[in-house]
Amino acid sequence: MKRFNLLILVFPWIATLAIFWVFPVIYSLVLSFTDYSIFGQTRYIGVANYLKLFSDRTFLLSLKNTLYFVFGTIPFTTVIALVLAVLIAEKIPGHKIFQAGYFIPSIVSMSVVAIVFTALYARGGYLHMLGKLCGLAVPENGYLFSTSTALPAIMAMDIWVAVGYYVLLYLAAIKSIPVEIYEAARLDGAGFWRRLWQVTLPQITSMTLFVVVINTIRSFQIFIEIYVMTRGGPLGSTSTVVYFVFDEGLRKFNMGYASAAAYLLFVVILIFSLIQMKLIGGKDQSR
Amino acid sequence: MRRFGKITACILLTVILISMLFPFFYMIIASFQSPTPTCSISWENYSAILTRGGLAGFLFNSALVAVIVTLGNLVFCLMAGYALARKRFSGNRLLYISAMAVLMIPAHVVIIPVYILISKLGLYNTYWALILPFLVNPLGIFLMTQYIKNLPDDCEQAARIDGAGEFTILFKIVAPLCKPALAVLAVQAFLSSWNSFVYPFILVSSPKLYTLPVGLAMMQGLQGMSTPEIMAGSTIATMPVIIVFLFFQRQITEGITAGAVKG
Repeated sequence: MKRFNLLILVFPWIATLAIFWVFPVIYSLVLSFTDYSIFGQTRYIGVANYLKLFSDRTFLLSLKNTLYFVFGTIPFTTVIALVLAVLIAEKIPGHKIFQAGYFIPSIVSMSVVAIVFTALYARGGYLHMLGKLCGLAVPENGYLFSTSTALPAIMAMDIWVAVGYYVLLYLAAIKSIPVEIYEAARLDGAGFWRRLWQVTLPQITSMTLFVVVINTIRSFQIFIEIYVMTRGGPLGSTSTVVYFVFDEGLRKFNMGYASAAAYLLFVVILIFSLIQMKLIGGKDQSR
Repeated sequence: MRRFGKITACILLTVILISMLFPFFYMIIASFQSPTPTCSISWENYSAILTRGGLAGFLFNSALVAVIVTLGNLVFCLMAGYALARKRFSGNRLLYISAMAVLMIPAHVVIIPVYILISKLGLYNTYWALILPFLVNPLGIFLMTQYIKNLPDDCEQAARIDGAGEFTILFKIVAPLCKPALAVLAVQAFLSSWNSFVYPFILVSSPKLYTLPVGLAMMQGLQGMSTPEIMAGSTIATMPVIIVFLFFQRQITEGITAGAVKG
């Protein structure tokens, strides 16, 4: 085959890769060591941006909120998705409808979901009234206007959105377990619970780790919900790292500083992913 | 599972199903709420958001961008997948692995350099900014390469002996065999383009270029439109997704699990 033809075939991918992935990742790092902004000269300032981040209360709060979000949603999402998938896999009447219905929230635009939940969470919205009916100490102005309930409300929404997607992944994993194993277990007289503990769960460990990895990568980047629902408020109680990057870099145009925050997050996500992938790799070899 | 267990599970799953779909019921019902209390269904919110709210323009932009992005992905991912699956060249493996590596890169973390780059190229506030970043997606590369690798290459060899050129072979022989994979790719590309928020949000500031998710989010922040009107807009933005889902559920599932089970 002619080299020229080959180049045409792969060129669109190489260009996309270079322009929108490789370059931004490298340039981000470079920017983070400068005081780049759209105003004035750019100087190289070493690690000053990184040092500043650790004394910036807004950033630290955003980081805390992000970690709170990640660790507060992933266990729930994973466990709920697993339980639902196991139940659906039992071929309960209507299992196809359940599977499809649960999946719908995760394919609708996050922007739309956030808009709908803003209305539901607002004063007089259905979820606000439901909270009152249940006798909970509901903030008078709706969940999103109180520093103590805004972030948990967004987290609850996010679990609601994501669960169906992971149900789908778990179902694929459960379906790929060889039927013979179940037959053998059944012949041994194992009931539903024993089959669950001794066959299903051990067989889908690598899927669980995969689910946690992609959910971690996704959750650390939470932004759309925050922008649409609260713009980081009230009093920064829902600001996250990506929201901080957006606000600092594209609102105040302190792009060097914002890049340092972004890169820090990038490294954190990378470390989490690598640790988790190591776990997956280790598991696969042991089998 | 015992009978009692099955009934309990069924009830539990039904309750969860209702709570999963409730926000959408609310969205649709609210969208028909009339500003003046009458009992009949009112389309006023829809006409208000489409005209006064400018949603008709956002709808056009979303559709245009989604169609171009979908076509781009079909052609370019097929091309790259074919090269990666069939041709030996230095860098082949690297390009394939890079597609998987990119799936692990947190895209929202690089918004600053992408913004600067697009601005420097003079593409800020243009359709190019909405289209270019999504024209080839790594999942598509992965999908097509895998699929073509598993196809027998007899027909290709025969055509080559008959003197057919590479592009004739690709588009006349390989592409028709790839229909199932291309369907998965098309659905996935369309949905992710239709729902895409972050890049369109940071790379465009003129309301003339807003896509539906961005336009709706912007209206939410302003006082101009009422909640029922915004719900009407949200319903309009959601309908195509639901329609695609109803017709292509299998393709959507395959697209998602392909990346997961093999990745």
